[in-house]
Amino acid sequence: MRSKNCFVSLISVLLVSIFALVGCSASDDEGKKVASGDQVTIDILQFKVEIKEQFEALVKVYEKEHPNVKINVKTVGGGADYGGLLKTSFSSGEAPDIFNVGGPSAVEEYREYLADVSDTEAAKTANEGTLNTVTDGDKVLGLPINQEGYGLIYNKRIFKEAGINPDEIVTFKDLESAAETLDSQKEKLGIDAVFALAAKEKWVIGNHLANIFFAPEFNNDILEAFDAKTIPFEKSNELKRHLDLENKYSVQPVLSLDYSQQVEQLFSLERVAMIQQGNWIYNSVYDMDPELAENGIGILPVPLEGYEGKIPTGVPSYWAVNSASDPEKVQASKEFLNWMYTSETGKNAVLEDFKFIPAYQNYDATKIADPLSQQIYDYASKGNTIEGWVFLASPTSWSQEVLGVNMQKYLSGSMEWEDVISQSRAKWEEERK
Amino acid sequence: MRNRDLSFWLFIMPVLVSLCLVIIVPFIYGFIYSFTNWNGLVATEFIGFKNYITLFKDEEFRASIWFTTKFAVTSVILLNFLGLGLAMLVTRKMKSSNFMRTVFFMPNLIGGLILGFIWQFIFISVFGSLGDLLGIEALTGWLSTTATGFWGLVILTSWQMAGYIMIIYIAYLENIPKDLIEAAKIDGASSFQRFRNITFPLVAPAFTVSMFLTLSGSFKIYDQNLSLTNGGPYNSTQMAAMNIVKTAFTENKMAYAQSQAVIFFLIIAFVAVTQVYYNKKREVDL
Repeated sequence: MRSKNCFVSLISVLLVSIFALVGCSASDDEGKKVASGDQVTIDILQFKVEIKEQFEALVKVYEKEHPNVKINVKTVGGGADYGGLLKTSFSSGEAPDIFNVGGPSAVEEYREYLADVSDTEAAKTANEGTLNTVTDGDKVLGLPINQEGYGLIYNKRIFKEAGINPDEIVTFKDLESAAETLDSQKEKLGIDAVFALAAKEKWVIGNHLANIFFAPEFNNDILEAFDAKTIPFEKSNELKRHLDLENKYSVQPVLSLDYSQQVEQLFSLERVAMIQQGNWIYNSVYDMDPELAENGIGILPVPLEGYEGKIPTGVPSYWAVNSASDPEKVQASKEFLNWMYTSETGKNAVLEDFKFIPAYQNYDATKIADPLSQQIYDYASKGNTIEGWVFLASPTSWSQEVLGVNMQKYLSGSMEWEDVISQSRAKWEEERK
Repeated sequence: MRNRDLSFWLFIMPVLVSLCLVIIVPFIYGFIYSFTNWNGLVATEFIGFKNYITLFKDEEFRASIWFTTKFAVTSVILLNFLGLGLAMLVTRKMKSSNFMRTVFFMPNLIGGLILGFIWQFIFISVFGSLGDLLGIEALTGWLSTTATGFWGLVILTSWQMAGYIMIIYIAYLENIPKDLIEAAKIDGASSFQRFRNITFPLVAPAFTVSMFLTLSGSFKIYDQNLSLTNGGPYNSTQMAAMNIVKTAFTENKMAYAQSQAVIFFLIIAFVAVTQVYYNKKREVDL
């Protein structure tokens, strides 16, 4: 009896495992057939959550025009950890065909997986300087997604009622006196404070704000910063001065003030006059108050001695094609990216649906959808920009986890400014030894 | 052991195989990787104990372990206190006791990530407005200092977990023989005396269970930490699990994070084993 039981169970277990194995191998075969046939399937893993739907719509259009291409889009970003997911998908062998890489450190890390895209038309029409990060000799390893810029975004109505002309704010002194004027009329203007400094977000202070003050030390060149053994911080006093100003006139406590409070609760509801942010906030403001977003906001450069009136613009991220994919997938991926940035349909979507500031030539600037981007494009076309988001080239996570954290400590009063600078510099040198 | 024949092994095979594949093999891999310079994509060389040496000099990791320990101790005490208190409350003969059991258990059904965001709103906006309204300074500026971040986390976990611990205590409380309590009543014991000398010793075994659950739970906490404070201000409320994830995925030091995880595993294992040891010993004593 027992041996019979044993036999039955042996058979059943064997059957189960055979079915399991057969099931796996069958699906494997299927996958291969599709890939080697006429149909090409491209997997995209991208992190721009704000354009998720618009991007998927554009992909549909492309699939219609190119019936033999099928594109799967997966969007992971915003609060989620894109870098972590990308890495996991690479190490588990599920790597996407098209993905995003940020700064030079990401390029370095994924270098062996980045296909050369220099033969595409998009790469040839990319704005000067935007390809610096991804150029490797003759090769171009990625295509810029867009350009972004940041500064002090202000509320036009509040400025007007306080009698301040934003065009006259050029130097730090001007900004300081404007802040004082606004502060003295807080009751009348109906605002809580002049600024909302989102110091909880390490990227707001450690990446963006600090970048303005240390980019010139590397001649605003990302690659120079990427090779730099140390960071001089010559303008650290100016940085301190500016941080103190924003902190002094900000809604308190700054250390628990996050991005959504800053942009949605405080700025969009017109409870503060100015915030330090970039053109990407447009959609959030629009969702809260379309009228304000379309007509009521403008952007000012953060004053920096010697660089007054210049807005820091940069390419936050690039499209990369996975060179380890099948050759036909690589080719199809390149064609898709090229189509997105050079065809009329693609260009329209980039400007009007994605609301991007294009990083490519031959675009109709008047079609730029929102006033912030248009203003930044104006600055860019007049050459009034500080090229390069150098923070992307700092040692991995240095700008947020070292400088950002130290600046938070300074704001909390538990660290002296000199220590912020010297400790951050020491950490940079240690990482670049 | 006689019934461990072929069919025994065959039947546990599926579980054994999957356990090996998803827990044991990755664990061994991770252990090996902690001796290399693995960056998540490639490992080029063995670097011996270098990761572990760096680790002992890593102040941030030490701080996060220390913060986790403080948090675990505080929340274990608070959770057991609250759990027992709630259990005593709902085991009284009251009409609403079933309803209250449900209510107290409910927070446990909500995911930690969502709870974190809800409490973030409560701590920052609700506490803030209340503080402004009533003029109480202590209610404003929550989560912007280390101390308020710490207590925020403790309050959040206690609120979430207390209901669960309550269920365990209820089971033990309802098993206390009624005649013991009645006899004590007749002998003239006050309600405090009854609790101190009868109830408390009889629910003592529940402490071991709850202790284990709360202790390991508090050590491994991650999602609440992420959504409530995200380590802020200045990474001072960052717990060990969060520090490890950050080292691995934001700082790209996979192998180093792996060595942190190994140390973290040893600490948790030590705590758990110590506890099980005392648990067994007490069971013998009883």
